[in-house]
Amino acid sequence: MIVKMDHIFKSYDKIPAVNGISLHIEKGERVVILGPSGCGKTTLLRMIAGFVSPDKGTIEIDGLVVAKNGRSLVEPENRKIGMVFQDLALWPHKSVHGNLEFGLRAKKIPKNERNKRIDEMLVKTQMIPFKNNFPGELSGGQQQRIALARALIMEPKILLMDEPLSNLDIDLNLLLRKEVLELQEELGITMLYVTHDRDEAFSLATRVVVMQHGNIQKIGNADEVTKFLSELPVNKKT
Amino acid sequence: MARKITLWVAILLLLLIGLAPVISMFAKSLFVAGELSLGNYETLFQSEREWILLSNSFLLAGSVTFITLLLGVPLGTLFSKTDLPFKKIFIILFVIPLIIPSYILATAWFYFLGRSGIVAQILGANVGIFTSRFLFGFSGVLFVMVSTLLPIVIILVMTYLRMVNPKLEEAAKLSATWPVVLREISIPIIIPGICLAGLIVFILTLGEIGVPSSLRFDVFPVESFIQFSAFYNFNAATAAAIPLGVITLIILIIERLFLRKKVFQFRVTKDPMIIIPLGEKKPLFFAAVATLAFIIAIIPLCVLLIKSLSISAYHEALTRSIDSIFRSLLYAAIGATCLTVLGFFLGYLLERKAFRFTYAVDSIAILLFALPGTVIGIGLISLWNTRATNMIYASVAIIIFGYIAQYTALGERIMAATFSQIPRSMEEAAQIVGVGWFRRLFGILIPLAKRGIASIWLVGFIFCLRDLGITMMVYPPAHDTLPVRIFTLMANSPEEVIAALCMILILITLLPLSALSLIIKNKRQKI
Amino acid sequence: MRKFFVIVGLFLSMIYPSFSAAKDEVVVYVSEDQVFSEPILRDFEKDTGIKIKAVYDTEETKSTGAMNRLIAEKNNPQADVYWANEPIRAVVLKQKKISSPYISPNAKGIPPLFKDSEGYWTGFSARARVFVVSDGASDKDLEPTSILNYTDEKWKDKSVVANPLFGTTTSWVSALFVAWGDEKATDFLEKMKKNGVKISTSNGESTTLVMNKECIFSLVDSDDATNAIRDEKPVSQIYPDQEEGGLGCLILPNTAVLIKGGPNPENGKKLIDYMISAESERKLAFADCAQIPLHEGVETPPDVKKIEDIKTMEVDYEKVAEKLLEIQKYLKKWAGY
Repeated sequence: MIVKMDHIFKSYDKIPAVNGISLHIEKGERVVILGPSGCGKTTLLRMIAGFVSPDKGTIEIDGLVVAKNGRSLVEPENRKIGMVFQDLALWPHKSVHGNLEFGLRAKKIPKNERNKRIDEMLVKTQMIPFKNNFPGELSGGQQQRIALARALIMEPKILLMDEPLSNLDIDLNLLLRKEVLELQEELGITMLYVTHDRDEAFSLATRVVVMQHGNIQKIGNADEVTKFLSELPVNKKT
Repeated sequence: MARKITLWVAILLLLLIGLAPVISMFAKSLFVAGELSLGNYETLFQSEREWILLSNSFLLAGSVTFITLLLGVPLGTLFSKTDLPFKKIFIILFVIPLIIPSYILATAWFYFLGRSGIVAQILGANVGIFTSRFLFGFSGVLFVMVSTLLPIVIILVMTYLRMVNPKLEEAAKLSATWPVVLREISIPIIIPGICLAGLIVFILTLGEIGVPSSLRFDVFPVESFIQFSAFYNFNAATAAAIPLGVITLIILIIERLFLRKKVFQFRVTKDPMIIIPLGEKKPLFFAAVATLAFIIAIIPLCVLLIKSLSISAYHEALTRSIDSIFRSLLYAAIGATCLTVLGFFLGYLLERKAFRFTYAVDSIAILLFALPGTVIGIGLISLWNTRATNMIYASVAIIIFGYIAQYTALGERIMAATFSQIPRSMEEAAQIVGVGWFRRLFGILIPLAKRGIASIWLVGFIFCLRDLGITMMVYPPAHDTLPVRIFTLMANSPEEVIAALCMILILITLLPLSALSLIIKNKRQKI
Repeated sequence: MRKFFVIVGLFLSMIYPSFSAAKDEVVVYVSEDQVFSEPILRDFEKDTGIKIKAVYDTEETKSTGAMNRLIAEKNNPQADVYWANEPIRAVVLKQKKISSPYISPNAKGIPPLFKDSEGYWTGFSARARVFVVSDGASDKDLEPTSILNYTDEKWKDKSVVANPLFGTTTSWVSALFVAWGDEKATDFLEKMKKNGVKISTSNGESTTLVMNKECIFSLVDSDDATNAIRDEKPVSQIYPDQEEGGLGCLILPNTAVLIKGGPNPENGKKLIDYMISAESERKLAFADCAQIPLHEGVETPPDVKKIEDIKTMEVDYEKVAEKLLEIQKYLKKWAGY
């Protein structure tokens, strides 16, 4: 088991954002959390990453308790996590190479090894020609690939993705979905993906988690979730 | 069209009020006895002495810039990004030396470290000789200038760090510790802000004359000053100020070349800024910051306080200055308001590159900021002191003109930074549905730029309130401000009265600032 | 709302005193320290009902705003009167045709040496260039008596003088050039430098250096010396070159100058009459500036010498002012600027 969350609570100014969620993620799974904005899905992701500590509950990553009883026990950099942000958060002052190198250097990986891994990753994402470019010089799709590459190069135990494709046009969205799937399968990495887009969720997930008002409404595969959603009393799109 | 006109008006105001006096001084300096001649410039750099002065100036300005950045960047980072206790109090303490006119700060240190100062009285005359040696000369000037200008770096670093997209830091935090994240991500991203701070510090040090002359370190602006004070030769004085202008322009060009490639990605989401817990090291950081605050702010403040500690001193100080206190507050408020309005439009111009020659306007503003107040002051007199314009010359308007001429650059640059945070689309969205310029201005730009507007006003207020150089040159009879009053009273007045006047100046600067911050706080709570 | 208007009205009345109906005022630019000059001007307001509007300046910090402004405002003068703290600036104003002649009835008692024959300026309440001497060197042998002691081996590295580029020290050096001729004066200055004289930033600082026994003596203004003694500092004051046939002590009076084309010339004249009166001189003698009255027989405190008891340096201030411009370049080099 890679991620184990038990009875997680988190509220902001007494308004609950995450209301007693328990979720276990197995190695190699692709879990997608589906929910409208404000349902607490991003907060959940940020608690796993360690940017937010839960008020109550336990989070375990790869057998290590990282948060317990309202306290964060392990800093984000020691959680072996990769993350792709909604706005990508590529460092504008670093080149593509610099963006990929930063984490490796912080982890004191020797230079030869660093360069080898960067080149490999850039080959995998077809970004080798842009090695020395700056993020501002790349197209939207290229930026996505770099953000993904930057997260994967650290060989994380789990890859967190916070609506990374939401700002792309539909063609690019579909293309990148495919690339993400290919990469995930090639690397066998565990993935936790957050989105409000059903189509995206169903095409990526091995398991879909439906969230609303800080609670999990349903967990299941694409078919089960589709069925659940269509049977909701008010059939509003989530 | 309306937008164009507004921007043109702003530019013309800067040209008319700021540039025209300088141009007229410069033009006159090219004539000797009615004929075109470089005579006034020939005497420059004739002797080795002038080169030494120039290198002294560079050495001083360079060292002050280096040290203020070295201290100011970490301090600004600590204040804006960590959970350091008593941050607000520290910020106020560090700002105090900037509020006090620098010659008074130098005097406070003289009371403390001078040969028969407080330290010498407590620890003996030998220590006094040692401390006075430290104070007089390069080390003392460096120290006083650093403590005066440090808050500029701190405040700018804080402002810019607040604008950094926190996601960039989080992305880095996934693999690195906070010190590494700050060193490699946050700080490099705000390099344009740090450069601006360095530029302002460098220019202000280069033009400073009060502190170096009272602590006896010879610098280049003295050259221009002597021409004024010993020869009454305005033309030669202008000529002697020109190298300062040239240096400033060179620095501006370097800045532009250097920053051209830097991309400053501002915060786009509404995510709150990340506050870094200092954890176990908190007491350590606290002790370090407290020590520095003690040395830089509390000591001079206490010296002034102790020196002034008598009711009679305050009574005397108040009776001698009560009218100038009101005038100071009023003029500084008017000045700050004018600087805000002008800075708003010029900053808009600079950021949106509305005209092709925006950089020229920026360069003019910075150049005026760098020129000695005396040169601008004499220029203003020779331009405005005519019978037809007596209404301006004999009223407070001439002082306000002086403020505008010298300090527009501050507002313009702060506003430019603010506008770079506001996506063009906000304005364009309104434009597209046919909202006119003035509606857009009051309905969209001003509300969005509120924070920036408030900060220029405050910065403008502080700079106008502490101004001495220009006000001293142009104030109409019976219109003197408190710093002028303190300056002219300083000669042969009892030390305790001067100290009391300084305390009053600090109070009247801090009171409006704290009142304003309270209002802002209340408002925020209501929202 | 009404309160608001009252406040606005108050402020307006504060910023625009120039627009107030009563035009019975006089504008004066003052280079004498504000601490000393302001009380005299206040008394004038009280005695005559004419409102004073002043621009102050301070020589101590070498600011010369008032003088620079008078020159810059030549074409549209704002001031009626200039109160200079020494005669040289008054002469410069005469040369630049900024002043206008006025012979005050109160000038009668003032010796001709201290006023312009055509009335372009009138001297009053003076400072003298005197020695302040450290008591630490109470060895009578080290007490200077003549400015020539500056070049004497006995005081090598023990004397100090303020920077001759500024203030009264400039006038003093220039007076030496006029009294002795260029050659002798230059020779004196060079020897002085060779003898290790320290150059301080101001007379005030020179006094402090002597007070702290870092130097044995310095030529300063009499008010600096008198004040140090009044503060019970370990120093004494000596008038130089008082022996028969000696050079005498340089006297630098305050000067009152009527500005040409000023807005209130009649009031300006009244102010000048007031400033140079024996009564004002008496007040300035008793004030902390301890200035020497130029009218004979004016009462002074015991530590302020009467003018009739001083052997003064006979020197034409007009020539001193001319010389001053000539020697500036040399002085700049001498002082190391």
